[in-house]
Amino acid sequence: MSPLLSARQVRKAYGSFVALNNIDFDLARGERHALIGPNGAGKSTFIACIAGQLPGVEGSIRFKGDEVARLLPAEVAKRGIGRTFQISRAFLQMSALENMTAAFIIASGRWASLSRALLAEAEDRAGGMLATVGLAARAGSRVADLSLGDRKRLEFGMVLAGDPDLLLLDEPTAGMSIKERHHLMELVATRAEEAGKTLLFVEHDIDVVLKIAQRVTVMVRGAVLAAGTPVEIAANAQVQAVYLGGHH
Amino acid sequence: MSLLSNQMSPARWAVLLAAVVGLELANRLTGAGTSLMLAEMLILAIFAASLNLLMSYGHMVSFGHAAFFGLGAYGFTLAVSRAGLPVELALLFGPLLAGFGGLVFGALCVRLTEIYFAMLTLACAQITYTVLFQWYDVTGGDTGITGFMPARFGLSEANFTTLVLVVLAVCLALMARLVASPLGLAIRAVGQDRWRAEALGLAPRRVQLVAFVISAAFAGVAGTLFAAFQGAAFPDYAGLGFTLEALIMVVLGGLHSFWGGVLGAVLFTQLRHWAPVLTGHWGLLLGIVLLIFVIALPHGVAALGARLGLGPKGDRA
Repeated sequence: MSPLLSARQVRKAYGSFVALNNIDFDLARGERHALIGPNGAGKSTFIACIAGQLPGVEGSIRFKGDEVARLLPAEVAKRGIGRTFQISRAFLQMSALENMTAAFIIASGRWASLSRALLAEAEDRAGGMLATVGLAARAGSRVADLSLGDRKRLEFGMVLAGDPDLLLLDEPTAGMSIKERHHLMELVATRAEEAGKTLLFVEHDIDVVLKIAQRVTVMVRGAVLAAGTPVEIAANAQVQAVYLGGHH
Repeated sequence: MSLLSNQMSPARWAVLLAAVVGLELANRLTGAGTSLMLAEMLILAIFAASLNLLMSYGHMVSFGHAAFFGLGAYGFTLAVSRAGLPVELALLFGPLLAGFGGLVFGALCVRLTEIYFAMLTLACAQITYTVLFQWYDVTGGDTGITGFMPARFGLSEANFTTLVLVVLAVCLALMARLVASPLGLAIRAVGQDRWRAEALGLAPRRVQLVAFVISAAFAGVAGTLFAAFQGAAFPDYAGLGFTLEALIMVVLGGLHSFWGGVLGAVLFTQLRHWAPVLTGHWGLLLGIVLLIFVIALPHGVAALGARLGLGPKGDRA
């Protein structure tokens, strides 16, 4: 089967600084794939390239066979790629329920509507999704008043609302306690599995990576260092060298 | 906390009803001078509410909103004076021209954000003002267009004020409907985090343009009424002075509140009306009041109302 996402020779430079240097990358449908590497490796840049958020990306990114490398973010989203951000983004002055409702309305493509029925229906589904991500009790809270972990859950749910084929999660557990991390990632993996979603996530916690990912790609200084199963990656001498070198 | 049940509390309805009755009583019982003052206040309330829609919900600060007030006034005035349309029909051309102006200028302005957006709106308004001021053959230049209709459609002061009150109520009802709709939610979403909105599949500029056009058309309603009120249109209607007044009204009334624009217009016009009793220095008084509000009451009169228990903070934008 052809890969869901296939990147070839993807390059992104900021002036003379090359953030991504000719990345080749394939993602199989239904796969849970972790992107790891030291800070500055280009992981978030790569995610942003796929999501259409960076101008001046060179090379090819094909999604379901179509070139998406130079589309606008909204167009990429409509084709079935949803993303969360490293620092979670949501509509801060709205309640969790309003955020989720907005996500469903945007997903419906009928944002210009004045229909109360559409709003009621979206709100109904939003309530269900809040329950799914464990936020039913916080439905009325403004996002600005939510904890970091709850914001990450909300953002994940909002992305799910669009029913994307591919979920890009940029450090979904950053800043969370170990317990929270495992809770969230179990939720993510379960939801992805149930709905047949493909998952590409950036993660620093190796325990989480080993537990969730089926494949791992290691990036260093804008290039792919190694790719393989978690077991292969854990045993890879080059990877060990980078990680020991990078963190000590 | 549901969006659909996010309607006015009984207490708010009571306050609103009392305000309307109070206004109408003042209009009917205190003479023509008061009626004229109230008519101007209510027209400015529509204008300020249109800017508030843009600022509080779309988080777009415009330094050129008077362009659409002016276009509204001239759209109506020119339709009567140059095209010879009957007044009733010409009324439509005010909001139409303002909305069209909003479409053209908005398409330019939404390409940028924040201060750059604001500076573009300023530039567009200055262009509008200059055209109205210089194009003598059509707009009459600095002498404006006068004498094309009896002021206030020939209605008595009190009857005209009642008419304006009705138009204000209709405009606010439409705005409330908009705010509590999928479109309203999309406008707020883009205003609060365009990156998130974009990543969910919303094209931010398109949403902002729709908000801009709607806001401009409402400003055009206010401009049309103002021209009918004066029986005249002048380039100043599109000038910086009106833009600044509307901005001050929104800040005084309360950003991020549905009622901010209206409350601000009431406070501003009443202050200006009664200021001569206190002082000959209106500008100084306004400056001090603005200072106090921005520092002590950054969310304006509307926040004070919420604090007094007039409904939940449910109308937060």
